Amino acid sequence: MNSVGEACTELKREYDQCFNRWFAEKFLKGESAGDPCGQLFKRYQLCVQKAIKEKDIPIEGLEFMGPSKGKTEDSS
Amino acid sequence: HPWETVTTAAMQKYPNPMNPSVVGVDVLDRHVDPSGKLHSHRLLSTEWGIPSIVKSLIGTCRTRTYVQEHSVVDPVKKTMELKSSNISFTNLVSVDERLVYKPHPHEPDKTILTQEAIISVKGVSLSSYLEGLMANTISSNANKGREALEWVINRLNAEIEEFAASARGTMRNSMAAAAFVEK
Repeated sequence: MNSVGEACTELKREYDQCFNRWFAEKFLKGESAGDPCGQLFKRYQLCVQKAIKEKDIPIEGLEFMGPSKGKTEDSS
Repeated sequence: HPWETVTTAAMQKYPNPMNPSVVGVDVLDRHVDPSGKLHSHRLLSTEWGIPSIVKSLIGTCRTRTYVQEHSVVDPVKKTMELKSSNISFTNLVSVDERLVYKPHPHEPDKTILTQEAIISVKGVSLSSYLEGLMANTISSNANKGREALEWVINRLNAEIEEFAASARGTMRNSMAAAAFVEK
């Protein structure tokens, strides 16, 4: 499955693989602590945010937060 | 299928042959809230098979429609709720959908899906022929949605089978190789 930003598809695939594994093997079994996909998500997110801005997609009420609770957003 | 299977498949629903118009899926945000529920905000890009000559005149950007989806998975209560609404550049027609997946109350190996859709034109709810037409489409799409998940579940099972088969093959090969070396 592709990403809205063509350049982000590879990053998306890597993140998706990590997330799908964590979701089925950890989260659904009640072990939601720990997030092995944080780094992958961050990289993928930066790419997607850029693509959305470039394509002018009007998304309402969106805050680009980090992948897990308690993480503070660092401004770039 | 049990709730865990359906939920896992729902997170990987696209691509599937029943929804060929979905061409892109992106996660805009994902986090676990203080009560342990997983929230995901996703953007779905859809392309409606507009003839390529029209596309070349108006450009691909104008033929894409986008859907914003918010899902919440509660692994303790075993519920998955999805809310989606289309992002419309013209704000003419909006479709809001809500889906909830829960384990069947009497048959633990089954999952129940409840689905509702609200169609609005410029913020006013429709109650006319057009509504009936779209409602029919949405209810046949609901069936398609079930078929789509069935397809994803079969694919996931096939992948597991393939992996197990190749693992067995590898073990047999290495055992044969070990036996050969020992001779």
